[in-house]
Amino acid sequence: MSTAVEVDDLRFAHTGADFPALERVSFRVSAGESVALLGPSGAGKTTLLALLDGRLQGWSGRVSVLGAPLDPDRPPPSARRPDTGFVFQEFALVERSSVLRNVLNGRLGRMSPLRALLGSPTKHDLEIARTALADCGIADLAERRVDSLSGGQRQRVAIARCLAQEPRLILADEPVSNLDPAHACEILALLTGAARTRGATALFSSHQPDLARRFAQRIIGMRDGRIVFDVPTSELNDDATAELYREVGPIPGIGLRAVS
Amino acid sequence: MAFRGFGGIATSGLIAAAILWSFATTDVEFSRLLSAGPRIADFFGRMFPPDPTVMAEIKKGSAETLRIAILGTLGAVILSVPLGILASETMVSPAVFRPIRTLLAFIRAIPLILVAMLMVGAVGLGPLPGIIAVAFHATGMLAKFYAEAIDGVSRAPIAALESAGAGPLVRLRYAIWPQMAPVVARDTIFRFELNLRESLILGIVGAGGIGFYIQTYVRSFQYDKAASVTIAVVVMVIAIEAINVALRRRFT
Repeated sequence: MSTAVEVDDLRFAHTGADFPALERVSFRVSAGESVALLGPSGAGKTTLLALLDGRLQGWSGRVSVLGAPLDPDRPPPSARRPDTGFVFQEFALVERSSVLRNVLNGRLGRMSPLRALLGSPTKHDLEIARTALADCGIADLAERRVDSLSGGQRQRVAIARCLAQEPRLILADEPVSNLDPAHACEILALLTGAARTRGATALFSSHQPDLARRFAQRIIGMRDGRIVFDVPTSELNDDATAELYREVGPIPGIGLRAVS
Repeated sequence: MAFRGFGGIATSGLIAAAILWSFATTDVEFSRLLSAGPRIADFFGRMFPPDPTVMAEIKKGSAETLRIAILGTLGAVILSVPLGILASETMVSPAVFRPIRTLLAFIRAIPLILVAMLMVGAVGLGPLPGIIAVAFHATGMLAKFYAEAIDGVSRAPIAALESAGAGPLVRLRYAIWPQMAPVVARDTIFRFELNLRESLILGIVGAGGIGFYIQTYVRSFQYDKAASVTIAVVVMVIAIEAINVALRRRFT
């Protein structure tokens, strides 16, 4: 089985921070796998995912995404970026634009720069966007403005945008922590299901062990920027989870992280 | 806010000294103020009743002022779009936006009337120097507003488009612009209102518009005509403000 993500001895510190956000992080994710990053806030999950998405520079170690190594000092070439889709915790939608426009935004990296700038999607682009909307169960919302939608609907739009990108790897940063439990399950089922049917790899973070267990084949536990365990979901025991959340006291350097 | 401690005393002392210095070195004579009453009364007497025969001049003057404001605002918008982008933290590096912001601060520091006088000298009398002066002067503020509008948008959608592989201009078009459009509309309308108000007096230095007639009539002691023009100006300002308030309410 080919490898979707390979991380070896990764270390990263935010500018001005005393403590590294990620340290000695090594793991690999096979293509088609569904993996959860589990851990309390401040564990480094968001940082790790943003780094894999090519949005952080200045790290050390070796990172390879979809078979291509990432450059520690440079963002990946834009031609490669659409292959990695990202679902954000706060949805990251353009509130005043329509649902369809937001989903089409996921196509921008697949279009020629001129076509993207002129905003004239091809029939093919529109078809993919419409399919993504339908797969996310929001085809009827296409013309609505995002600022008129509920939280669950917004995350569906964000997932549709990610799917419109036709990613081979889907990274999701706490995709359901802003939703109530019922919606959280629906959205994670949608996200991991869509990844599976498309043969894409899914790597999502969560601070809720039950959700991670339900929707991931493998769980990577993180704490204070390090990987604490990396086990198949069936082998995850409660002791390991409890250890992850043991005494979540004040974390040194957290104020500096917030500033940076 | 209360002044406290030594800093407070020092500040109060400084303010008092500034006021005393101004009185001591300015020619403020109460006798002159007292004798002004009858003269002002005389002015008002001569302004009354306003002369309605200057309607044609009022129409011509206000139309010209309006044109100066419209074209001046257009010029400012055209200049402010690139300068606003270059003055924004989101779009360019500090090496670019810092000098541009300094330049804009310099432009803002030059009073409109001064720019207008220079332009009258450069291109001659009429509305053209007024338009150039308004465009130049307004750019100092408008480009700063546009930069702030760019920097004020939510960053998350920009990161999302970057993640999807969109370049900087495409991000500006689809992540930044939709968020900043209402702010830009509001700022531009506000600047148009200011441009119109400020260009009412441009005629005094020969840069076109209704101010020319005020100056002409006051200098030739035709206070009843000056009164009519003044009333027209006041009506215009009130009307613009009312329209502006109504328009701005739509862009929130």
